Amino acid sequence: MNLHEKRIPIIKIHDYLIVPIQVDMHDKLAIQLQSQILEEIAKTRAKGVLIDISVLEMVDSFIGRMLSGMASMAAIMDTSVVIVGMQPAVAITLVELGLEMPGVDTALNMEKGMEMLERRLNSRKTDSF
Amino acid sequence: MLEFTYKAHCDLLGKFKIDTEYDIVTVRQTIRQYAKDMGMGIVDQTRITTAVSELFRNMYNYAGGGEVLIERGEVENHHALIVTCTDQGPGIEDIELAMTDGYTSGQGMGYGLPGAKRLVDRFEIQSKLKEGTTVRMMKWK
Amino acid sequence: MKEILNIKNTKERIDRIEDILASVASGDMDARINSEIEDDFSGIEAAIDLLINDLTDELRQRENMQKELENKLSKIQDQQKTILQQQEDLLELSSPVSKVWDNILILPVIGTLDSQRTQVMMENLLQKIVETGCTISILDITGVPTVDTQVANHLLKTVTAARLLGAECIISGISPAIAQTIVHLGIDLSAIRTKATLQDAMIFAMKQNKRADEVRALGNLALPNEKTD
Repeated sequence: MNLHEKRIPIIKIHDYLIVPIQVDMHDKLAIQLQSQILEEIAKTRAKGVLIDISVLEMVDSFIGRMLSGMASMAAIMDTSVVIVGMQPAVAITLVELGLEMPGVDTALNMEKGMEMLERRLNSRKTDSF
Repeated sequence: MLEFTYKAHCDLLGKFKIDTEYDIVTVRQTIRQYAKDMGMGIVDQTRITTAVSELFRNMYNYAGGGEVLIERGEVENHHALIVTCTDQGPGIEDIELAMTDGYTSGQGMGYGLPGAKRLVDRFEIQSKLKEGTTVRMMKWK
Repeated sequence: MKEILNIKNTKERIDRIEDILASVASGDMDARINSEIEDDFSGIEAAIDLLINDLTDELRQRENMQKELENKLSKIQDQQKTILQQQEDLLELSSPVSKVWDNILILPVIGTLDSQRTQVMMENLLQKIVETGCTISILDITGVPTVDTQVANHLLKTVTAARLLGAECIISGISPAIAQTIVHLGIDLSAIRTKATLQDAMIFAMKQNKRADEVRALGNLALPNEKTD
């Protein structure tokens, strides 16, 4: 596997962006992904982002901070981010590391994440009219 | 140059250099494999992999890289995976401060060293200004 | 008066003794002198044979004893393995996670919690949450007599980790004694949803389920409305 060539796809479906992270990321790739997603949000005016980390076997403090930073930045741009499918071992390790990621929305799987975003979007729609 | 408190019979598993960000990824994957081969559970594998990732990042950011020694041995009646990271960086002025939660001197948020310490069973750090830093971590099987 | 020794073939017989002793030394325990000549020297030959006999017996006994010890050792090692295995099995068995309702898991904890057991329990529960996709789990500690700082921290960790997975974890059955201990130890459980009884927790979980259903239904209604605007 050539780590130098890896790019993480960002898929747009309706109002949402789906980002399946399927490589063990180094720091530069993580930073790159963050700005890529933000640019894509601006470009597509997506209302929600699902970041699927179900195949990630490790999330260290850098990637953890990148993910929670991502959520706060997207929130300022009026977009919700949901982190989907974290593995139990990763969750335990993150908590022990001291990164409890308060304020970050999480979902057990893609389906639940999508439901969560839809709920958000709908309550916003009913609020505004 | 540094003396550690543990005495053990160790087998060398591997020796690696951390020069680039890609090395961080490949060496931490290698260490995960060693942990797996030793029979560690999935959570312990994740703990040691995450802990070394924090250390490697420190080494890369502050000292431009360094060397990693991976051993397995018997320590205090435990099968242990032992990872020693050595760099020739600027050294740490106040180790106690560096080991405090939330403290950072660089761009990090200070989860690195104290976080890594919480993930392993033994954690020792020694540093000399302008000479470098050595960190040794052990994880029981 | 001088005694005269009556010894025949002295040279050959001494050579034979040397040969026999050499064979015994190299491990041939069946070698004996077995001299047939009767004279003043034959007593020594017979005595050497007897000594070799004794030595052989001694060696055999020692070998048997060693074998016996080795057998016992391997038996003990086997038993130890079984005990360790049983301990592990017990750990697994002592934290049964069951799905009691749509979207709801329950983990009843009975007996004293130590750090290791809590750890195994936590891993089991989180794994089950991922497998079943249940978003609400209830950790019932009615059957736990007491908790210490470490166990309380593990419980706290479980709840936080569950949240990272995308699930909510409620702790129920907190006895007055445990409530006192937790406050005395200065452990902050304010971030955790706690309920007095399993029944309260169950009612809360069902309400959460109902609310989620309602929001979902509302969402489905809201969408077409939006389009007609």
